Amino acid sequence: MSLPHVIVIGAGSTGAATAHDLALRGLRVTVIERGEVASGTTGRNHCMLHSGGRYCVTDQESAIECIEENMILRRIMPDLLELNDGLFIALTEADLAFKERFLEGCAVCHIPARDIPVKHALAMEPFLNPKTIAAVQVPDGVFEPFRFCLAFLATACQNGAVVRRYTEVTDILCSGKDVMGVKVKDYRTGKTETLGADMIINAAGPWATEIAAMAGVSVPEVPTAGVMVTLDCRLNNMVLNRLNKPSDGDIVVPQRATSTIGTTSWKVEDPDLIAIPAEHVARMITQGEQLLPAVRKIPMRAKMAVARPLIARESTDEREVSRTFECFDHAFDGVNGFVTIAGGKTTTSRAMAERVSDMVCHKLGIAAECRTREVPLASYRLFYQRGQS
Amino acid sequence: MTMLEVSLQIFRYKEGESPHYDTFVVQVADSAFVIDAIDAVWATHDRSLTFRRACHHSSCGSCALRINGVEKLPCVTRLTDVWDGHNPLRLDPLRNFPIVSDLVVDVSGFFQRMSAATMTITRDAEPFLPVSVDNLDDRIQPAVVELPDNLSRFNRFENCIECGICMSACPTMAADDKFWGPAGLAAIARACQKTDDPQEKAHLLALADGEHGVWRCHSAFECLEACPQAVDPAGKIMELRRELTAQRFKKKRRG
Repeated sequence: MSLPHVIVIGAGSTGAATAHDLALRGLRVTVIERGEVASGTTGRNHCMLHSGGRYCVTDQESAIECIEENMILRRIMPDLLELNDGLFIALTEADLAFKERFLEGCAVCHIPARDIPVKHALAMEPFLNPKTIAAVQVPDGVFEPFRFCLAFLATACQNGAVVRRYTEVTDILCSGKDVMGVKVKDYRTGKTETLGADMIINAAGPWATEIAAMAGVSVPEVPTAGVMVTLDCRLNNMVLNRLNKPSDGDIVVPQRATSTIGTTSWKVEDPDLIAIPAEHVARMITQGEQLLPAVRKIPMRAKMAVARPLIARESTDEREVSRTFECFDHAFDGVNGFVTIAGGKTTTSRAMAERVSDMVCHKLGIAAECRTREVPLASYRLFYQRGQS
Repeated sequence: MTMLEVSLQIFRYKEGESPHYDTFVVQVADSAFVIDAIDAVWATHDRSLTFRRACHHSSCGSCALRINGVEKLPCVTRLTDVWDGHNPLRLDPLRNFPIVSDLVVDVSGFFQRMSAATMTITRDAEPFLPVSVDNLDDRIQPAVVELPDNLSRFNRFENCIECGICMSACPTMAADDKFWGPAGLAAIARACQKTDDPQEKAHLLALADGEHGVWRCHSAFECLEACPQAVDPAGKIMELRRELTAQRFKKKRRG
């Protein structure tokens, strides 16, 4: 019996984790990615493995997803994480007033949180603002988004998946109300071809609306850009967050010999070309130096901006838009065999993959259970060694 | 924000076609990094341009290429540091790697070496915050770090981001395509430091001592110059040579 063939559009964290999930359930999977792995939203990432602390007051659904996935990722990709915890730092009376709500939120969401002595925090973080008046420790961590995706894809390929990079979906082919496959262009050869599929999963991040439009449907996504600034020096051991509601420039994520400050938030029309506003870069420095006064003395190593695929909700403030994810079955829009997985964040990509894979398997009549919570991932290096195209 | 009009002369190659250069003129901010200019070419001029990129802040290592002949990460190279203001900025793929398309090279051989060297990407850290930062007030100079109760040691990713720049810059690679290369040998040195298992260590040293190992290096030190992450592969190669030499003397004395 020939197994159903599923095409996954996009090799960011969502597409990569989805390919892994479906391949593990025994389906035939082809991933189509127009560039390098993680060359879109996932790549230009703050690299923060969320504990959920950031969302535990304002968006508890996201916070719970984060802490659950955080613990799962520690199991399945232990070698790909810098696990040094995170601190939420209070600098003002307003921050201090937020602390009780924060600790309550952590308790509700089952995020292990410890209110630690300031002296202790300053000893662990010698560059931390000496005016710190409270510090709460949570299990934040640091990942590396490119290798994160490679590990999912390397494992998917071991289970038979095929990943086609530098290949763009140019059209979605339908017969009546049923999606039949995709038309793709391989930019390495200039050749176009048609690939048949029993199901197509749109995991194109902020480009999901563009892909959905090819099938004549829409996705309520708001591409929301953010600027991040990377310093040419590592100033913190642990992830540092401001102990308050999420706002601009209130996280500093260390990685290797750098620290990255982020982020801002504004709606964009075209996720392909985002000009980095100079004032956002300046704001990252002024905000960052509140947590780490040395920030201003350190040269900038890099700056980046990318659109996040947030799901549009009633609220108009993009900071209030939930960071959770949603799966759309376009059969409800009159198109069969086509689903979109949208929203979310890299920390929760495995859960996103599970949700969409459950939906797809249900639609295809496949009974296989999700196993991605337990199965350790292969070495990310195997992705290239398998001669993936 | 002042805008610059920069022209980029980009190496082009597609399967079955002959290689050539295409020149593109794009508008970017004067504070732009080279990756932003490449991105602008792709987004506004030619969607068939293939190049590698992911993180835009020197953590993934994927975007490495040659800018005016010199290996760089375009994500951390400011345009104004490499562009003379009128001649086109030339972009070529890395050397010593098979070319796939345009600026994309096949890195499978490189990753095979890194796998065989068994270096894991995370490690327990030696102290890694800077001992001091110039121009900092005394009161924010770093003090001794105490670890959180539930952590035995801080951990962190290796400095090597596997960008392949050292392989491209290495003159030995051009002469011996099976050479382990600077990153591969540096990875062996790191794996040696990390292991407590004498058998594992002997295996790693044997790899470094082999026909395509440390003795092939003729100390051009191009890798030291080119590495964007201060890994110092040349230093690691010399460490391995010293260790192997010491072993040989020991054996002779015993023998």
